[in-house]
Amino acid sequence: MRDRSLQYYLLVPAFMIVVATTIYPLAYSFITAFRDWDLSKQRRPQGFVGADNFTQALSDANFLSTAWVTAIFVVVSVALTVVLAMGLALLLRRRGPLHDFTRIILILPFAMSPALIGVSYRFMFNPEYGVIAKGLGQVFPPLAGIPWLADPHLALGVLIATDVWHWTPYMTFMCLGGLASVPRATEEAARMDGASSLRILWDVILPQMTGVLVVVAVLKTIFALKMFDQVVTLTGGGPGVATETLAFYVYKVGFKWFDMGYASALAWVLTAILMAVSAGYVRMLLKERKMATA
Amino acid sequence: MADIRLVDIVKKYGDFLAVPRQNLTIEDGEFLVLLGPSGCGKTTTMRMIAGLEDITEGQIFVGDTCVNDLPPKDRDIAMVFQNYGLYPHMTVGDNIAYPLKLRGMSRAERREQARITAEKVELGPYLNRRPAELSGGQRQRVALARAIIRRPKLFLMDEPLSNLDAKLRVTMRAELKHLHHELGITTVYVTHDQTEAMTLASRIAILNHGRIVQLDTPERIYSEPADIFVAGFIGNPAMNLIAGEIRGGVFEAPAVRIPGLDAGPSGPVVLGVRPEHLRIAETGPIAGPIFANELLGDSTLVTLRQRGTHICARGPADFRRELDQPVSFAPTPDARLHLFDAENGNRIATQSF
Repeated sequence: MRDRSLQYYLLVPAFMIVVATTIYPLAYSFITAFRDWDLSKQRRPQGFVGADNFTQALSDANFLSTAWVTAIFVVVSVALTVVLAMGLALLLRRRGPLHDFTRIILILPFAMSPALIGVSYRFMFNPEYGVIAKGLGQVFPPLAGIPWLADPHLALGVLIATDVWHWTPYMTFMCLGGLASVPRATEEAARMDGASSLRILWDVILPQMTGVLVVVAVLKTIFALKMFDQVVTLTGGGPGVATETLAFYVYKVGFKWFDMGYASALAWVLTAILMAVSAGYVRMLLKERKMATA
Repeated sequence: MADIRLVDIVKKYGDFLAVPRQNLTIEDGEFLVLLGPSGCGKTTTMRMIAGLEDITEGQIFVGDTCVNDLPPKDRDIAMVFQNYGLYPHMTVGDNIAYPLKLRGMSRAERREQARITAEKVELGPYLNRRPAELSGGQRQRVALARAIIRRPKLFLMDEPLSNLDAKLRVTMRAELKHLHHELGITTVYVTHDQTEAMTLASRIAILNHGRIVQLDTPERIYSEPADIFVAGFIGNPAMNLIAGEIRGGVFEAPAVRIPGLDAGPSGPVVLGVRPEHLRIAETGPIAGPIFANELLGDSTLVTLRQRGTHICARGPADFRRELDQPVSFAPTPDARLHLFDAENGNRIATQSF
């Protein structure tokens, strides 16, 4: 009997830490989302305002623009990452010294801090002294002197590029894992059946990879939705609000404009979206596992 | 229809010589079995014919065309893989019809063809299932149907029965033989199972260390093995191989003294005699204590042991004698005795008794 209760006592410290660092802040922000709180004037959340903070978002042009930017960012960066990762995996699946070496150094972009990626890309795309901006200008003269980060569309493009550069290697590894589980005999059978390499990829390899590709896409979607670091260090959300993502906007509303009630509400909107996508992800993982054990 | 010729084929993996200079002609319509222990180069040889493996040196001809540089899809060869290589995301029907789809046949026609082919291998009711929902034997049939649906010039089968249980293997063996008879398509079949080779082949090529040791009909390989390796590999139970010495037509080994042999050879030799060519006798040239009795149903395998040498004979089913009791074996009237060179293993002579 003592042993039975002891096991729960032993859990108490860990539980307290989780409550203090995760559950309490979460609950606090959830309650704050329904209250009025201007941090520049008040030390504590004020009265309840019902769902006002949420309805405010619907008529907030800034929020809607942010949501739009985030949507574009997610769709383009996920699509590019998945396609590039799959392509790289196909190129790197063969064994050999060069392939092995490339696989090893491929992890480097992923090892870099996202904030630093933003800073270095800001330098590299500087029209005056940036190596990429200069290099592109040298190779394609019409591209010389383009102010990459001052143009709304181009700046978003560069932001997407940093993210794709950062995530593609990791996703390539996931695709390589998936490729390794495609039985060699199915490809050889297709070759004997008369399929070209492209048909083999399309008819035999990709259909057997759908599970992995969906996992890659969903994971990448989750990460893209949270995009924040490079927005701060690369574009600062600019020019104007052209590269402001949802996460960045939440930060701006809360810590620049000190409207904590509204920021909390927006944060919970983002959380709801993330939870929906994550739930889908977990569900798929379970299904995969079930299929794998079947 | 065409014959397949392998001319001076060599395969190297880096420094490793997998197949040293092989010459082989597969005749139109025959069922050729490549037989050998694992790692003897039989699968590599087959994969080179298929085009799945590059040829280091030499040429492969299908008819008069050198196919060295043709990709598999242009060789008109179908292959059945050991683990089937079925497309798990396609139904049985789509699996079978995939080669036709690649050749641009219309959907309706493909379905009809797949249905007819599936009937032939008794898969009719399973057309809409997926491979994962089938048993091993059924999967094997799907692989077979996918190979025969396009009537290729040549079938390649890479140990197609080795993943099946023993009983199913025997059934499928008969079906393969029937199918070959019905379609008449030249077939190359790789296996390490000598029973499969004996039952299926019109000719067997026995490989050892990448070399063809003997290429002949099953009958002749059984009755006139080219060397000790073939002698020991073919036949179940295996041939008795007794190391001894021959002088003046008398073979002598521990527990064995057989006179009346060819007077020509002399010196150390290995005598080969199959268990079915030895009978249990009151007195005989081979004698020793019984090591084991194994009842097979229609007969009993009796093994005697004398100074480390085991010799096995096929006795009557009702043979009963305690272990360690003395027993004698004598050659049957139709017995064939083989003498092999003790040095290089080659057959020196075969003699009926």
